[in-house]
Amino acid sequence: MSSGSLPPGMKIRDPGFPTQRENYLTNSKGVLSWMFTLDHKRIGVMYLIGISVAFAVAGFLALGIRWHLFLPDGMLFRNPQTGNDTYNQVFTLHGAIMVFLFIIPSVPAALGNFLVPIMLGAKDVAFPRLNLCSFYLWVFGAVFFICALCASGLDTGWTFYTPYSTTTNSSVILATSGAFVLGFSSIFTGLNFIVTINTMRPPGMTWFRMPLFLWATYSTSIIQVLATPVLGITLLLLIAERVMHIGIFDPEFNGDPVTFQHFFWFYSHPAVYIMILPAFGIISDLVSVHSHKHIFGYRFIAYSSLAIALLSFIVWGHHMFTSGMSPLTTIIFSALTFSVSIPSAIKVFNWLATMYKGSISLTTPMCYTITFIFLFTIGGLTGLHLGTLATDMHLHDTYFVVAHFHYVMVGGTVVAFLGGLFHWWPKMFGKMYSEFGGRLSCLLVFLGFNLTFLPQFVLGSRGMPRRYATYDPEFAYLHQMSTWGATLLGIGLIVAFVVLMRSLIRGKPAPANPWGGATLEWHCTSPPPYYNFERPPLVGDPYDFHDLRWDEENERYVTIEPEREIVPREIPDEVTVQANKDH
Amino acid sequence: MHSMFPASFSLLGDYVPEFASFPESASTFAERNDSVYWYITWICVAFFIPIGYCLFYFAWKYHKPKGAPAESQVSHNTPLELAWSILPSILLIWMFYAGARGFLDQRVPPDGGYELKVEAQKWSWLVDYGRGTYHPELHILLDEPTRLTMTSKDVIHSLYVPAFRAKKDIVPGRYNYMWFEPTIASEKVSDEELKQAKAWNKGNPAWDYDHHQFTPEGYRFFDLYCAEYCGKDHSMMQTQVVVHKTQEDLDAWIKEKSTRGEVPMEEWGQRLYQQRGCKGCHSIDGSSGTGPTWKDSYGAARDLTDGRSAAVDENYVRESILNPKAKIAKGFQPVMPSYKGQLSDDDIDSLIAFMKTLSKNYKPEPDKRSAAEEQKGAVEQKAAEDNSTATESGGEN
Amino acid sequence: MATTEASSETAHEDHGHDHDHPAFLAHHFDTPEQQFDSGKLGIWLFLVTEVLFFSGMFCAYAMFRALRPDVFEGCSQFLNTKLGAINTGVLLFSSLTMAWAVRCAQTEDHKTLTGMLAATLSCAMVFLGVKAIEYSHKWGMGLLPAGLFFYDPNNQHPTAEQLELIGFGSFGVSFLQNALFYICAPFAIGLIGVVIWLVVSLVNGRKFQVAVAKPLTVVFVFFFVGVGLGRILESGESHDSHDSHAVAHVDGHDAHQAGDHASDQHAGDAHAADSHSTDPPAGDHDSHGSPVEDGGELAVLERLAAEKTNTGLQDDLAARQRQSAVASGAIVHSDEITSTIETVPEEVLTPSRAGVFFSIYYCMTGVHAIHIIGGIIVLIWLLVRSVRQDFNRQYFGPVDYVGLYWHLVDLIWIYLFPLLYLIR
Repeated sequence: MSSGSLPPGMKIRDPGFPTQRENYLTNSKGVLSWMFTLDHKRIGVMYLIGISVAFAVAGFLALGIRWHLFLPDGMLFRNPQTGNDTYNQVFTLHGAIMVFLFIIPSVPAALGNFLVPIMLGAKDVAFPRLNLCSFYLWVFGAVFFICALCASGLDTGWTFYTPYSTTTNSSVILATSGAFVLGFSSIFTGLNFIVTINTMRPPGMTWFRMPLFLWATYSTSIIQVLATPVLGITLLLLIAERVMHIGIFDPEFNGDPVTFQHFFWFYSHPAVYIMILPAFGIISDLVSVHSHKHIFGYRFIAYSSLAIALLSFIVWGHHMFTSGMSPLTTIIFSALTFSVSIPSAIKVFNWLATMYKGSISLTTPMCYTITFIFLFTIGGLTGLHLGTLATDMHLHDTYFVVAHFHYVMVGGTVVAFLGGLFHWWPKMFGKMYSEFGGRLSCLLVFLGFNLTFLPQFVLGSRGMPRRYATYDPEFAYLHQMSTWGATLLGIGLIVAFVVLMRSLIRGKPAPANPWGGATLEWHCTSPPPYYNFERPPLVGDPYDFHDLRWDEENERYVTIEPEREIVPREIPDEVTVQANKDH
Repeated sequence: MHSMFPASFSLLGDYVPEFASFPESASTFAERNDSVYWYITWICVAFFIPIGYCLFYFAWKYHKPKGAPAESQVSHNTPLELAWSILPSILLIWMFYAGARGFLDQRVPPDGGYELKVEAQKWSWLVDYGRGTYHPELHILLDEPTRLTMTSKDVIHSLYVPAFRAKKDIVPGRYNYMWFEPTIASEKVSDEELKQAKAWNKGNPAWDYDHHQFTPEGYRFFDLYCAEYCGKDHSMMQTQVVVHKTQEDLDAWIKEKSTRGEVPMEEWGQRLYQQRGCKGCHSIDGSSGTGPTWKDSYGAARDLTDGRSAAVDENYVRESILNPKAKIAKGFQPVMPSYKGQLSDDDIDSLIAFMKTLSKNYKPEPDKRSAAEEQKGAVEQKAAEDNSTATESGGEN
Repeated sequence: MATTEASSETAHEDHGHDHDHPAFLAHHFDTPEQQFDSGKLGIWLFLVTEVLFFSGMFCAYAMFRALRPDVFEGCSQFLNTKLGAINTGVLLFSSLTMAWAVRCAQTEDHKTLTGMLAATLSCAMVFLGVKAIEYSHKWGMGLLPAGLFFYDPNNQHPTAEQLELIGFGSFGVSFLQNALFYICAPFAIGLIGVVIWLVVSLVNGRKFQVAVAKPLTVVFVFFFVGVGLGRILESGESHDSHDSHAVAHVDGHDAHQAGDHASDQHAGDAHAADSHSTDPPAGDHDSHGSPVEDGGELAVLERLAAEKTNTGLQDDLAARQRQSAVASGAIVHSDEITSTIETVPEEVLTPSRAGVFFSIYYCMTGVHAIHIIGGIIVLIWLLVRSVRQDFNRQYFGPVDYVGLYWHLVDLIWIYLFPLLYLIR
């Protein structure tokens, strides 16, 4: 339906394009205007750059791991004295950087910062200075990690288990300080979002008119605020243990290493949901927008996000089934673990039901969405093997676990992050990218990912323990398959990167609403003006697509609305660059 | 049970069955756990296929040009949603139950059975067979519940035998227990094969388990891994599990390992040094530890805390091992435990022989016995085939 | 920061916004109420994270206490209940002044507001001063976290050479022996700095700066008031303990610890701990001085039996031993003289037992002290703003938020005090 066939009595509403002064990217210039900005969108963009660098570094480390494991005796780090140490440092840094510097801040801090106020209809987050502060804390934490890397590396695994971490010679203190600081960055982001969503909603934005991304972010923020302090104190105690042997975790002084594991996983299990919940939010939005159909079971999805956030606090013990907890504790944790799988399953069914009888556009974000649902389902289902106690005795600490959490973290979060990035890229930077390139990257990521991690399920079932620098020759074939997959996955990610970078230079200017979304960010120009909304926007159902029409000519979606004249002014017959000024 | 679904866990399974199948199931847990595993897997497949099918089918079927309205805008259907929230839970309850049953079996060892102590340290295993017999390999008896009491000397390790589907962390500062009952005995390779392997191995001090896939005695084995990351050589922290068919067979093996046999004294002494805890306090490179270093100590004079001094000779070392508090070297605490009853005379002599090799203060006397021992150390095993060394040396000291 | 803020402000002008934004209302808020509510929710969430932050240590406390009640009962004898009680009182009073300050901010009573903030700050300083006394004495005696623990009941004030033998570097030795000096140094520097600032601004006649520097000078002086108070309480106590049984259990203290052991000294002669650095090193006890002996009770008996000047001690000891045996090594009756550090079974005084107690003690009180210091910094910022008369009926959020934070810090101490000092 083109704009020509407008129903009678309706008019088109479209914000058009921003002027240079309005555009948040260009309204003030110079490096300092970025470094000291309080604008949530710019902070989001800076986060995006930061986490991309971290992702690239950790990604190359991952390739290092995979290529080392190409041969049973190791291929890259072959020095008989230091080779294994090097490998241990590489996988530790891969894990630590990916978790602390990339995945945890990826969706909440980068996309979240950009989107939360706009989706909500607010001018900014509640505490803009705190927001900037949390970005610099992130940078500060990253500097700590770089220092650790330059000093003597880190070889504890990202979990910092005592007593290994209290006795090893590598720079544990630097790295844990880094994680400690990053924890505060994360707390401040979460705190900011909770307050923003609670107090900054414009009139009309009721709780159940919030896009599901906001529900997911809200749930995530609750976890960030409630779980991260425990990580903070745990790491602080670990540092104290190293510096002066306080004897809480150190068996040498009657301490108990398992206590550390309890403390650590009390944070780090909810942290898993810090990573995946925002991804659920992204997918809920994407699947609805690109199917042009109302999300199915809004309330179930919203509540299941909260349910996951709350349940996530009581399942940490499932990381420690083999550590010798009492049988009763172990069984209780197993039961609780199963309970958390239900809300996740609900979401998958709801997404499928949303696609059913929709009008699906196979755009790049939609391709990533389909990839996500496919991979996350595998990741979620294989979690059942690990939650079941008897099988976990065999699979714990094997490659099965590695494959499982990569299906959730990479197949889930990273793919959703990429999907979200492709989805909101036109909004963030005002440029359209090559659809072909985007879909190609999605295909490569899909194939590469499965080739990397499906064999690892088999490896794990065969009994290949994780974190091994060398392995028995009978596992070689599967490891090699996995290595080729990782390479393909890397290529896919590079393609995605190139496509996005190229769009910045060569891309067509993006219309305000390229996908047909009904949430508030699509009511702004692309890129949004720095003040987001001049007046509190009109808020409706975020998944109501009735008044959206495809405008073939200009390749955009427009909103049609009845010609109701509140302020008697002349109707703009064509949408111009000045559109915004007429508001 | 799992043989009903041969290697069909993944798509890859059909093409590379030898890589994709489970490890041999060699304990009573294995069959049950594997069947739980496969049931869950098939439930997962039963869920995954419709989900995957719907995903791609919908993407294809409802793929429409831009601007086409969706066929339906239905926003919810509460009974349906409640149904798909609650129905799968029933399956989850079954999984939980099956898993918990299996787990309790693994946690609660039956009465009686075979008990062993396992000590883990970076990066080696040591099994205590009682009566002072220690060996890195784990040798157990077929169809006999075996209970392991495990301790760690440094960091957390985890004992994992894939073939038994059993795993348990070993946490320093506490005892952790595990048990299993092997159901498949290790076969013995033919004598020719063993001979061949020995010939191949000649001149190589360490036995290459990966290459031969059987132990130096010719037993096939199951792999035992450390599953909890423990540092540099974590991936080397492996040992072998051998399941003996009969008690006699096992006893014979233990007996063989309990005496020095034909190993040269120095080498045996070195082994004891590493295996029996000397290493923890006494260095052999001159650095100071909880106790005095062994380097250059033999034959030297040593100041004691009570002001006297003593020469470090056979008698001094022997007394220090059996009654450590009698003479305390100056600058050290009387913390060494007595090894009375834990080391045989031959063991002590071996340790002394090993200390001699470390000391430049020791001048080999033109004594017949020690000359013979020296030679034995220098030449290979064959040089001194006299199996009387044990009694002989015990008598002389 | 300035550029973007400025540009956004001008931009508002450009767009002809009709919000009448007062100076204190940030541009992204519509009304002062919205701003206040946001801040209030934010600070409550922050307090939640603080509670969780401490909860980790409370968990550790609970676990270790459950595992080894005897260690906790024995070691808490080393904590001076009087000093703890004074600190509790000081903090409670500071909560009152803080709440009062919030009220003043709401009523725009700027003078009283400044006064109340200064009073709160002074209380915080007194708290830190008393803490400095508590810490420095323990450090000198080696009552340190497990890894550094070197307390030896027979030689409570090791000489520099002995410390070096234990393995401390020259700086470590000097730090341990002059801990009080090192703790006080930054505050002394701060005091001198503030005084200089006060004098300079008085000379130059800068009214605002004088108004800020005056209360700050008082505040810094109060740190040393706290130090003095701590010392007086401590030295006064050793006399008390001789007179009345009732106080003896609270002293738990270094001040006269050497009294009963060293044969040449009576408890009554004890001075403040610092003057004890010349204690005889008690070399004659060395033979059974090893802290890892199995029969701790026996060791106590043996050690005290050597004190031949104390007649009737044997009987007392036998009674104590029986009591200890009954209570499986725990000291249960806090109102008897037996419940002093002398009765702490020697086997408890090892790095892996008492050391862990002190690890937890230092972690909890140390992190709490860091929060006090953080509170002091924020309060100083408030003080400056209150002198500037920034707060009014519509805008008193910052005072309110800091007040909430301060109450939480007090509250945590209210839990720490009984858990560490009182429960025995």
